[in-house]
Amino acid sequence: MHRRITLAFVATLLVAGCGGAGNQGGSQGGGTAGAPPSTTGFDGTTIKLGVLSPLSGPVAVIGQPLTAGNKIWFDALNQRGGVAGKYKVELVQEDTLYKPDVTVQQYNKVKGNVVAFTQVLGTAPTLAVLPQLKTDKVLAAPASLDALWVREPNLLPVGGPYQIQVINALDHYLTEGGGSKDAKVCMMLQDDVYGEAGLQGLQYAAQKYGFTIANTQRYKTGTENFTGQIQALAGCQMVFLTATPTDAGKIWGTAAQAKFAPRWYAQSPAYAAAMAKSPITPYLQQTAIIVAEGTEWGDEKVSGMKDLVSRTTQFGPGQQPDYYLAFGYNQARAMTAVLEKAVQNGNLSRDGILNALNQLGKVSFDGLTDDYQYGPAETRNPPRSSTLFAVDPAKPFGLKTVKYNTSSDAARSFEFKKTG
Amino acid sequence: MTAFLQNCFAGLALGSTYALVALGFVVIFKSTGVINFAQGGLLALGAYLGYTFSNNLLLSFAVAILLACGAAALVGAGFERLVLRRMVGQPPFAVIMITIGLLFVLEPLITAIWGFDNHQVRNPWNINTVEVSGLVFGVKDLWTIGLTAAVVVGFFVFFRYSSLGLAMRVTAFDPEAALAQGISAKKVYAVSWAIAAALAALAGVAMAAGPGGLSPSIGFIALAAFPAMIVGGMDSPAGAVLGGVVIGLAEALTRGYQDQLFSWAGDNVSVIVPYLLMIVILLIRPYGLLGTKDVRRV
Repeated sequence: MHRRITLAFVATLLVAGCGGAGNQGGSQGGGTAGAPPSTTGFDGTTIKLGVLSPLSGPVAVIGQPLTAGNKIWFDALNQRGGVAGKYKVELVQEDTLYKPDVTVQQYNKVKGNVVAFTQVLGTAPTLAVLPQLKTDKVLAAPASLDALWVREPNLLPVGGPYQIQVINALDHYLTEGGGSKDAKVCMMLQDDVYGEAGLQGLQYAAQKYGFTIANTQRYKTGTENFTGQIQALAGCQMVFLTATPTDAGKIWGTAAQAKFAPRWYAQSPAYAAAMAKSPITPYLQQTAIIVAEGTEWGDEKVSGMKDLVSRTTQFGPGQQPDYYLAFGYNQARAMTAVLEKAVQNGNLSRDGILNALNQLGKVSFDGLTDDYQYGPAETRNPPRSSTLFAVDPAKPFGLKTVKYNTSSDAARSFEFKKTG
Repeated sequence: MTAFLQNCFAGLALGSTYALVALGFVVIFKSTGVINFAQGGLLALGAYLGYTFSNNLLLSFAVAILLACGAAALVGAGFERLVLRRMVGQPPFAVIMITIGLLFVLEPLITAIWGFDNHQVRNPWNINTVEVSGLVFGVKDLWTIGLTAAVVVGFFVFFRYSSLGLAMRVTAFDPEAALAQGISAKKVYAVSWAIAAALAALAGVAMAAGPGGLSPSIGFIALAAFPAMIVGGMDSPAGAVLGGVVIGLAEALTRGYQDQLFSWAGDNVSVIVPYLLMIVILLIRPYGLLGTKDVRRV
């Protein structure tokens, strides 16, 4: 649909303060302030963007598809001429190994060559470079759904934060999922900042909906045996799981063996496509709902997905359907919106980029995730909606939509606060 | 009582995996005096080889395990032949650094070949269970325990009754006397590396057949198995098994009774228990439960 949007309509959106970066990639021209002068990371023709991602090591399973998503978006944009139809984008990728200290080293290595960073993967690595981002006045897009980022002026988050996922999941459980506020609701989480984000969402939901969290089980990533935790959860009617795929597979496998079958709701990073073709598939089909965003892979009713599939076929042949690929694609799209605005202002300097972000309005992701209201950090409003998926091996990514883009009153009322 | 027995079984299964990894450490240390830090990498390599044999070549799971162990053994022996043999007579520290180097070579090599995605290994165990008197036993866990027991028996027979096993024991006890008796230290070292790599592969495939699947981080278990080797005694195969079981049981029982007994100490007491146990045992028996006390003439 967006392919048919006229240039006039795009211009109207920009006048209305919307962030562009739709499928046309903002090919409306140079804007009102003339061509931006050369600056760090911009030689007058090419805009260089940094990517700090674990391209090797255990977390590369996330970093690789996420970076592929970045590339697919920018390759498609470049084919259409680039930012504002004339400035090609080049990615400068550095491997962080998912280590905060390495991330800082790599940041320092490339910061003098890039306009901004279109990806910094992980909460801990992002926190590690955040002080320098502030000192250097550099913008970076964190690849994590932590609520911490919403109020940070040097960060460009995308998607609904983890807390929103949990709140919407609980709303679904209590309104349509057979649960009640007297149900025994429990949680299992990994003991890090990601797990705490999930717990924060559950605690907020408990307060809003008036239920008690009956049991909370924490575990360390890489735990080999989950028998103890599963035994402790016995009697729980609903368990919310904040985990990553390898641990989640073991947790669900142990639960299946113990014939423990509560209603599981799981945060998006807990799931991997391989689970839909594994011994635990029947168990997951019976018990699990995954809370994420957007729609199922290949759903052409959603225009953003239709474009993503088509561009992946063209620019990333061999890429498997992947949640993280879509995330990286959305990140690149948000960054493009900022760059379009900066070009329109005629200023691609670091100050110009941050200024453009402050002026940015709502950015649409064409249904891949809900719209994000950007602007000054204190007034930003992230998506409040989530999509609930069931495991279905017949689907390309193993997930079928149960409820698309649902948003609860509790999620809408959740307040994001700036961290100390 | 059911919960206690269930936790004990979980600990025994976990301990069996630790024991297989720790045995690999011990075999090399016993014959060469070197701690092989690449054991985790060999475990991951063996697991991925098992995946290839089972999923890509569609061989039966039993054959896949055997071939994975065989292929890993060749890699282990080849590494010893091509690299470590040149280090004979050099300080153990230098050899240890080489094993660390091997670990860092194996990791990117594995991801370059098999990628970063999570894989599910075709296997007959899956998440099948056997239920006896209210206790649920995972078939994979039963097999892991059984395989470990078989390996222990095999080790006993090999070291006790085979000439190669005897040669390895003699070399470990007194390398110079062994050489004087015509025992080839080179052959002993190569066989040690082959056995350690095969054990790592066995542990790797058994782990990868679980519901967590196979990912490049599978080799991290070697770090968790390290205390098992120390607790049991670095030069004692029986100690490795005992250490593995002790550590596995301690971890599982602590986790099982975390909420009732250890909530005051945080949520992850089970993670630190192996290391606390290691410290305590080393304070009492510096050479581990079954390790050999080093006697020096002063």
